[in-house]
Amino acid sequence: MSVVARLEEDAVHPEQELGALLERAKGDGAVVSFTGVARRASKSGQAVYRLVLEHHPALTLQSLENIAGEAAAKFDVNHVHIVHRRGNIAPGEPIVFAGAASIHRRAAFEAADYLMDRLKTEAVFWKREVGEAGAKWIEPTEADYADRERWD
Amino acid sequence: MKVLFHGRLAEAIGSELEVSCASVCTVAEVRERVAAEHPDAASVLRNKRALSFVGEKLVRDDYRLTCGDKLEFLPPVSGG
Repeated sequence: MSVVARLEEDAVHPEQELGALLERAKGDGAVVSFTGVARRASKSGQAVYRLVLEHHPALTLQSLENIAGEAAAKFDVNHVHIVHRRGNIAPGEPIVFAGAASIHRRAAFEAADYLMDRLKTEAVFWKREVGEAGAKWIEPTEADYADRERWD
Repeated sequence: MKVLFHGRLAEAIGSELEVSCASVCTVAEVRERVAAEHPDAASVLRNKRALSFVGEKLVRDDYRLTCGDKLEFLPPVSGG
């Protein structure tokens, strides 16, 4: 069993993270991963110049560790892996990598889905979209909170 | 008492305020006092998804503060 949770100031490299997870997951039958990427346009279709993820000096990493640890306990997975970016993120750059490995596929799929539902609503970041329309704070939608509540 | 703000609350209020603690004792009372002084931030402060921390621990509205506490108000968070 391994649980990785990291906060990155610089780029997140999904291919390297997946490689590291595959390496640890030798012997498992399933590795599922998700990469979240900064969009080039806002919901209203206007160009986004950058995404700014403000973080908390102590609580942000703690929230990533809690989410990863709770996924490892809840599902029949052997490895959980979260890497989350902070700071200024350009459109097209990865924001988050979330992955899980298990003997059979269902647990890894569910764990990855759970990781993202919790990261969207509980990871301690404050997200601002800066673009054509000015700066706008982005908070979870009611649908995001409903997705999170599916797991209770 | 030191009160810290993050995200859109820091934008509206500033990242730190010194609040005299003689007349306040719970998190809810500090919140209402700050909200009264910063009406533009009141709805975010009172948002049911906003969180309050003291010493890196999540606390409820009825948590009783002492003068040396550092209270932090976190507006709704979002990763991913």
